[in-house]
Amino acid sequence: MKRLVQGNEAIFLGAIKAGANFFAGYPISPSSEILVLAAEYAARDPGFKFIQSEDELAAANAIIGASLAGAKSFTATSGPGFTLMQEAIGYGHQVEIPTVIVDVQRVGPATGMPTMPAQQDIVQTNYGSSGDYYPLVFYPNSVEECYRYAAAAFSAAEESLSPVIVLSDAFVGHLNEVVDIDAIEVEVVPRSRPPLGTGRRFFTGLAHDEEGKPRTADAMVYREWLSKVKARHKKVAARYSDLEFKENTSTDTLLISYGIVSRVIAPLASEFALFRPIRIFPMMGVELRECAQGYEKIVVIEANDGQYACLVERELKREVIQIPLLGGRINLDLARKGLSEKLERGLP
Amino acid sequence: MFKDLLKLERFPTTWCPGCGIGQIMIQLAMVMDELGLNYTNCTIISGVGCTGRLAGYMNVDGVYTLHGRTLPVAEAVKLVTPSLKVIVVSGDGDLASIGGNHLFHAARRNPDLTVLCNNNQVYGLTGGQAGPTTPRDTPTVSSPAGAHYDPVDLQNLIKAGAKYFYAKTTVYHQLHLRNCVREAVAWPGFAFVDIISQCIENNGRRLGFNSAYEMLLHFRKTYKRAPEGAETLEPYEIGIVRQG
Ligand code: SF4
Repeated sequence: MKRLVQGNEAIFLGAIKAGANFFAGYPISPSSEILVLAAEYAARDPGFKFIQSEDELAAANAIIGASLAGAKSFTATSGPGFTLMQEAIGYGHQVEIPTVIVDVQRVGPATGMPTMPAQQDIVQTNYGSSGDYYPLVFYPNSVEECYRYAAAAFSAAEESLSPVIVLSDAFVGHLNEVVDIDAIEVEVVPRSRPPLGTGRRFFTGLAHDEEGKPRTADAMVYREWLSKVKARHKKVAARYSDLEFKENTSTDTLLISYGIVSRVIAPLASEFALFRPIRIFPMMGVELRECAQGYEKIVVIEANDGQYACLVERELKREVIQIPLLGGRINLDLARKGLSEKLERGLP
Repeated sequence: MFKDLLKLERFPTTWCPGCGIGQIMIQLAMVMDELGLNYTNCTIISGVGCTGRLAGYMNVDGVYTLHGRTLPVAEAVKLVTPSLKVIVVSGDGDLASIGGNHLFHAARRNPDLTVLCNNNQVYGLTGGQAGPTTPRDTPTVSSPAGAHYDPVDLQNLIKAGAKYFYAKTTVYHQLHLRNCVREAVAWPGFAFVDIISQCIENNGRRLGFNSAYEMLLHFRKTYKRAPEGAETLEPYEIGIVRQG
């Protein structure tokens, strides 16, 4: 049945579709609708477990515990909470824990501008915890995609055995669109790791060998482990190489955007070529290079001060023009103004 | 046999000779053996620090969590699998300092968890810095002129709720320790066992003890059993206070 659905609600419904049965979270705008929906769902369905945690450190560690106990678990937060969750995200990568974290972004740093929309957690998403790790990250831009990629995140988490991130922002999270949720088909990957209470395993945040035995001074064991994990993530990422590319042969300029900004600048398709990564991390390499071929100018428009633009620059090894939409104001006029300043008047 | 509950193939442990943690592990294994707890019905969650390594030496599924995060992990495990006996073993620094917020809230929510706190009154693994349980005026590497503050009052923190279980014991009083662990495991709620133990290498020697044995004798001399039915344990009393 078609009905009005909110972005945050679609994320929750996508999680349920994927078989999620555990949520822990701490209230923070603009993500709190997801926590409230989880609380309501748990009140109706005893098979769904819910904890309102004392802080985001607890929430992120609770979803790890729940995953080890065999649940499909998730949490939802925004910038400052996402920062607190970084330690657990790193742990999840070291211990290879499938779980899902939703970050509905707002303007930062710190408490920032609650709760104006932003895309300022891009770098934090990829590099926020200590050590080297290779997170899988989706950034939907519509209510339908919120549903689709929330569900995909759970499958990718199982396949990669890692915490998978769904990025959103205050606009996408609070967007209301008419969709027929039941008509959206998603693939669901079941849980694979046997739950706690079935073996004699040791799950440790220390570097360890295949048996879970701590190996804290063995470079070879560490390197082998890291390359194995890296290869697995690469393989899983390839299965979710979702992007949107609108070619335009009448222009020499490719605009790159994602999330809410890609919705806002959609009307520019007649004047420019458009590229949008949906699986935003690991970085699209081959795809990005292919799409960028033949365009003289590459522009990244985003609601932060060039976080993704720098990564695109590194990937393409070409200079990239940055158009930051800052302070929670994201609209087509500002995007046009930025384009005319940088492309026509050549301002830095 | 309690030895079946230990991963003997991973011995020797990383602990210093004479450390109190091994004694806690042996008593825990004995209680588990008595109560029929094994890898099919029990899991051990431990935190970071010397004590945290304990989960890796037990023959059940074990989790070595992030520093301070044992309780959120354990609470979630218990909620997902109510039939599993979930035992948390960690140090005083992990539980009462970096994990202090979780301790206070877990005690308030009263989930069915057994928590064994290795209270050696110091950060052992990192070299002997003052911790939340270090008695005032104790010299440590981070408090050369003596610790500045009073230690955290674990008993009253745990007893703040309507329902609680708080036991205090020492590794010298082995039978008492075993009894406290047994009672805590049987308690249908949040049961906290505060176990005074010795870190000889990074605390005891600085305090003038020549060996772990001397520290144990010190526990024997200083700690006395609380009178039957006591509702509050005085400093240097061992016993159990509970309200269900
Ligand atoms: S440093 Fe102290 S607490 Fe750690 S193993 Fe050695 S004696 Fe035990």
